[in-house]
Amino acid sequence: MKRVYICQDSITGLYSAIYDAWKERRGDGSAGIALKKQIVPELFCEYVEVQESQEKALAVERLIRKHLGEYAYGRLYYAALSYEPDKGDAIFGTMRSARHLADSTKIMDHLTDPFARRSFELARNVGNEAHYFKEFLRFRELKNGILFAKIEPKNQVLTCIAPHFADRLPIENWMIYDKTHGMFVVHEARKKWVLVSDLCADESRFEEYSESEEKIQELWKVFFQTISIEERESYARQRQHLPIWYRKNMVEFDE
Amino acid sequence: MRIAEEMTMYEKLSILTDAAKYDVACTSSGVDRRGDGTGMGNCEKAGICHSFSADGRCISLLKILFTNECIFDCKYCVNRSSNDVVRTSFTPDEICRLTMEFYRRNYIEGLFLSSGILKSPDYTMELIYSALYKLRKECNFQGYIHVKAIPGASLELVRKVGFLADRMSVNLELPTRESLRLLAPHKSRKNILAPMRMVQNGMRENREEIAVYRNAPQFVPAGQSTQMIIGATPETDYQIMQVTESLYQKFGLKRVFYSAFVPVNEDKLLPARTEAGPPLLREHRLYQADWLLRYYHFEVSELLNEENPNFNVLMDPKCNWALQHLECFPVEINRADYKMLLRVPGIGYRSAGRIVKARQLGVIGFEDLKKMGVVLKRALYFITCNGKMMYPTKIDQDYITRNLLDSRERLPDSVRNAGYRQLSLFDDVRFGAGGGIL
Repeated sequence: MKRVYICQDSITGLYSAIYDAWKERRGDGSAGIALKKQIVPELFCEYVEVQESQEKALAVERLIRKHLGEYAYGRLYYAALSYEPDKGDAIFGTMRSARHLADSTKIMDHLTDPFARRSFELARNVGNEAHYFKEFLRFRELKNGILFAKIEPKNQVLTCIAPHFADRLPIENWMIYDKTHGMFVVHEARKKWVLVSDLCADESRFEEYSESEEKIQELWKVFFQTISIEERESYARQRQHLPIWYRKNMVEFDE
Repeated sequence: MRIAEEMTMYEKLSILTDAAKYDVACTSSGVDRRGDGTGMGNCEKAGICHSFSADGRCISLLKILFTNECIFDCKYCVNRSSNDVVRTSFTPDEICRLTMEFYRRNYIEGLFLSSGILKSPDYTMELIYSALYKLRKECNFQGYIHVKAIPGASLELVRKVGFLADRMSVNLELPTRESLRLLAPHKSRKNILAPMRMVQNGMRENREEIAVYRNAPQFVPAGQSTQMIIGATPETDYQIMQVTESLYQKFGLKRVFYSAFVPVNEDKLLPARTEAGPPLLREHRLYQADWLLRYYHFEVSELLNEENPNFNVLMDPKCNWALQHLECFPVEINRADYKMLLRVPGIGYRSAGRIVKARQLGVIGFEDLKKMGVVLKRALYFITCNGKMMYPTKIDQDYITRNLLDSRERLPDSVRNAGYRQLSLFDDVRFGAGGGIL
């Protein structure tokens, strides 16, 4: 009978589930991986809850790195951050498909394989969204000098964008709040960034801005309006590049 | 000339942005640089856009003029000396502050600094140098800087600035010497090409230096670009593309940008103002062809010639080429070489790369192609997978043309919304050169 492993929607959860499925040598459709809050019950299936642990997750990480290589590891990590509920099946399937290749590090090029193709698709979607937030995220300077940004992504992109901003603003205190997933990245000047998931923060404190903040926002807005050439105006083209749902937390589109 | 005395930052920024908005080349790509941990900023090879303005163009850099005062009198330029507009200048400090504060908030990728010619080309270039020096050395800014080399400035100055900037550009302004003489009487082809050549040589020498001394300062690491105004003068697309091709080959330029002419001045030497607006479709076609040169191994002579000197209005240049060369098609996806895949309409250079890798590991079908990012509605007339076409179709020019046009290629909306009338008129309104029209 097919066995479905149920786990939390996190890297540790997913990798622990893959660990169990892998260990029990289940293959060819006899194992499935489902996320706790998104199970669609199937007939003729047994469901088991996974005992999640850091050790299992690390073991899977090592397995992927060693056999599939760094490139595939990066892609599968991105796929694991996707909001799509079938990501566990895609990653697990990709790992199994890799075993049939003479050179298993080529697995992410094997786009005619349905699992590899799905993982590729998920990773591409996460990567694209992460890229959008490198572009469209906006920091605001709070009273205490901290730069604060709020985003509402579909996928869990925080860990994809944190290294970018850490490299870029190393001597600033900043934090990014992922409202969708209730997570923060916090960066203290000259230190490493950390991911915080169970922080109970008073949201109103994120709306107390520094003295010059408003003035800089005004300057940005006037730049934004003035740079456009009237004779070329095209709202459809603007929307094509910068979809409306990304504009939620962008200064230049504030009412 | 009116010079305002006391002006707020808000007013200055609004004037000097307005004056800079016709410049293109607002990209931030071509250099990969990590931050060193002591200042602010880094550079991403692929470039990052941070916003899109109401005209749909990307905003990547703080694009401003240092000053809009100008001793030159170029007929197409809003800042020409004979225009009566409010004039102002930034100070180097103001430029630094704006750049740093915008960058911190992730509004921009860096600075794009151009300028009117204040007093003399050398004087202006010195000012630009002092602003960049402050930004790099005092503010420790490590983000992207794109700067204009002022035509006529001493080459030594241009060189000094090149060690502080990521990209430099000298505007070609107009495609031919003759047009330049008419519309930009203070600029000469020689004064434009001299700094361009200097930057090219500087980059070559710098590469050799870096090979020897790893820590040698970098000179214009993101390369140089230029721009031409399209539609102010009667050159054909063929002439424009020939200029482009030789700029890529002889001057090693990274990019050539095309700027659809917007009439901001009345002058008898400029095309009359019409209802048609800037020639955006023409600009679009030139960019498409430009990509074919840079990424798809095409040569200009394959796309245009004396008999057909302008691009097809209704069809992008690659589709147009394919329709003229049906003898090459259909190509088999599982066998065709990479260069041939690049020539198939609907297959981009990324998907071509994926195809080449994936087919070593399995046989590719139409469903796979779709997932790889191939635009099947365009490609399906030109390919087979495993010997079969997707649907029974005829390899026949009229048949394919009709079908491709039905599927409606994505035209710029200004063009699409304006409807067919403008499509067929856009360039013959001005010059009666309708050679490329189907």
